[in-house]
Amino acid sequence: MPKVTVDGIELEVPNGFTVLQAAEAAGKEIPRFCYHDRLSIAGNCRMCLVEIEKMPKPVASCGQPVGEGMVIFTDTEKVRQSRRNVMEFLLINHPLDCPICDQGGECDLQDEAVGYGRDHTRYHENKRAVTDKNFGPLVKTVMTRCIQCTRCVRFLSEVAGVPELGATSRGETMEITNYVERGLTSELSGNIIDLCPVGALTAKPYAFVARTWELRKTDSIDVFDAVGTNIRIDARGSEVLRVLPRINDAVNEEWLADKSRFAIDGLKRKRLDRPWIRQNGKLQPATWDAALSAVVARLNGAEPGRIGAIAGNLCDAESMMALKDLLVGLGSPNFDCRQDGAVLDAGNRALYLFNTTIEGIDEADAVLFVGVDPRREAPVLNARIRRRWVENTGFVAGLIGPYADITYGCTHLGEDGAALRALLDPAHEFTVKLAAAKKPLVIIGQQALARPDGAAVFAACWQIAEAAGALTADWQGFNVLHNAAARVGGLDLGFVPADGGKDVAGMVAGGVDVLWLLGADEIDMAALPPDVFVIYQGHHGDRGAARADIILPGAAYTEKPGTYVNTEGRMQLAQRAIFPPGEAREDWTILRAVSALVSKPLPYDDIEALRQRMGEANPVFASPDTVRRIAPQVGLTPKGDSGQLSDAKFTAAFATYYQTDPISRASPTMAKCVTDILPPAMPAPVQQAAE
Amino acid sequence: MNATDDTVAGEDARHDGKNRASRPGAPSLASLGGWRALINNPGLILNTLRHGGAVGQDALGNRYFEERRPTRQDGRARRWVLYAGRARDASLVPPEWHAWLHFTTDAPLSDANRRPWQRPHEPNMTGTAFAYRPKGHDYAGGARPHVSADYEPWTPDA
Repeated sequence: MPKVTVDGIELEVPNGFTVLQAAEAAGKEIPRFCYHDRLSIAGNCRMCLVEIEKMPKPVASCGQPVGEGMVIFTDTEKVRQSRRNVMEFLLINHPLDCPICDQGGECDLQDEAVGYGRDHTRYHENKRAVTDKNFGPLVKTVMTRCIQCTRCVRFLSEVAGVPELGATSRGETMEITNYVERGLTSELSGNIIDLCPVGALTAKPYAFVARTWELRKTDSIDVFDAVGTNIRIDARGSEVLRVLPRINDAVNEEWLADKSRFAIDGLKRKRLDRPWIRQNGKLQPATWDAALSAVVARLNGAEPGRIGAIAGNLCDAESMMALKDLLVGLGSPNFDCRQDGAVLDAGNRALYLFNTTIEGIDEADAVLFVGVDPRREAPVLNARIRRRWVENTGFVAGLIGPYADITYGCTHLGEDGAALRALLDPAHEFTVKLAAAKKPLVIIGQQALARPDGAAVFAACWQIAEAAGALTADWQGFNVLHNAAARVGGLDLGFVPADGGKDVAGMVAGGVDVLWLLGADEIDMAALPPDVFVIYQGHHGDRGAARADIILPGAAYTEKPGTYVNTEGRMQLAQRAIFPPGEAREDWTILRAVSALVSKPLPYDDIEALRQRMGEANPVFASPDTVRRIAPQVGLTPKGDSGQLSDAKFTAAFATYYQTDPISRASPTMAKCVTDILPPAMPAPVQQAAE
Repeated sequence: MNATDDTVAGEDARHDGKNRASRPGAPSLASLGGWRALINNPGLILNTLRHGGAVGQDALGNRYFEERRPTRQDGRARRWVLYAGRARDASLVPPEWHAWLHFTTDAPLSDANRRPWQRPHEPNMTGTAFAYRPKGHDYAGGARPHVSADYEPWTPDA
């Protein structure tokens, strides 16, 4: 622990700290453009110059390791003059187009120019102009503004694992480019917009839309995957204009996946803004009174055991709680949140959570993916696993399922059940590696569980994890990776069939007469018998609305306060950013109104009471933003007969990363991504699995 | 109320002001509104009688004057306006005379150059019954047109 003095403040800092980190620890702010906490050190902007005693020249603090007894000055006249000079060099070629630049107001260069900029230029030469590059439909480039900090290059190659950017030429002619006219293919590409300290990389859909100071900022939680990324929703008036990540080191660090960032224009299209009732085979707009009385007539007329409910992928826990209470009040045991039919045992949290926790990934040294494409199903989480692979040369990764480039070295062990069964053999090459690892992870995806033999896949994975030492007293390495934001919340609330109740497959096969779809669009509507009366409650006109007999317009995730539990079991609260459009209402209030009309009123009239009810149903909902690493329970095994593991191939969770839910299917930006972003050049999968 | 003479003090205007060949003649008291006008506004009328030369009149009846003998330090002749009605509002001056009044032009812009798209000058109507009311204002009927929403609602046919 070297002792250093920063501007007269003595402090002890850990070994390997840089001078910049030491200065930060002492509370001194050092201006920087290229340095970023979560990227490698480049040291090419030279803005972070400080003076160090016994060093003849100012030193770039970001790349200078601290030494014992170092005396650092961060604010001398020499330092300030050096920074002014650096700033002047940076501004030689930087255009003075702040008034038309989207970065205006949140630009590092602008901010630092206040402190270190000259009031005039000493140069008469023309500024350098650089051709704009095509980075695809999400990232807009104005490369003349680039100051070559190389943050984007480092992010894509280090964090995203898609080394598609680089610098060509040197000196004044240096350019950041992707070499070929082809967009970025990373699912994390939007983050380079946040990283860019100037306006060289900005959001294409958000170009010239708003200034940062016009926006109303609301803290929320992302629902496009089950990671529970912390987001900030920027809205103006009744429009959500952009979504940015919030820093949460335990969940998303400071990254956000592209779908979460750019699918928000889907929130303005295909919206359900009024109730609809099907009359003579055709949906007709209706009033709330008419729609609710039609719903009530149906519910009262139906046999309680013939009423069912399916919760979708984007639901908040509040609405699921209200719907479950409503059905229980009506006397129906048929409700299910496992829309994809995944075999998940809601009885024990350890059997459906990402038990290692997302932070726990940082300790892992081997991973086996079964029936999951982590890059598409949880891009931010995948970046975290990738970091382990980068840091740890011995990191072993294996994948069973359709071949996918997951941005780091991964052995493709096969794509069918037979490959999984082969791993049960302790002599298998990969099983040996997994067993040799100290902290192995077994990550099982939803597609593996949604198979008819899902229970057998689960049991096999559990067995592999047990054999590999992933279920010891101090390491819980068995993980279920969800891809729906609502799923864990639904399982925690027990939104699974009660005794004698029908599950999704049973309900879709005609087990019910009245089916309540709470934002459930991913079930097979064609398989529903035509005489099933479908009540669709949701925010987008998608598959469910097209089939529905009554549509009750609800609120999207930006339009209601909501509770979401992510794949590791972390319960997080989202705030309302805007109000629902038209006559749409918050989902739980619709259910509360229906419950009163069927004379089974729910015992809560406001969201606080509802949340209290949720806390009583499961204590998880009483402790926001905490996650407990569940110690492996000795002897815990999946219940029941798991059946025979078939040789069927695992399937991909979704056809394209960009369109997976009603919001992203309504989004023009996402549609553009599907057509414009070419799939990464995929080499023919090399069959490496040795039977 | 009357003269506005010092807004545009360009070199050219000053030069031209000095070398004007013919000065407008003195107005008569009758042309300024007679005794009644003199009693109502003695300073302006006396000053106009003593120094002013009538230059012209616009469509609204406002009359424009220029000093017969320049008294300004810069040698330029002051210019001013006598409004036709009781209103004393600078927006009553049409643009062609506004330019002349502020020494932008030597002579008022002539009507000969009027384009078909040029509309007659209209003074500021704020505070009158002709004031602009946006659509939906209570005095303009109070009926707001149905605005299209900032989102696209779903319809079953789409």
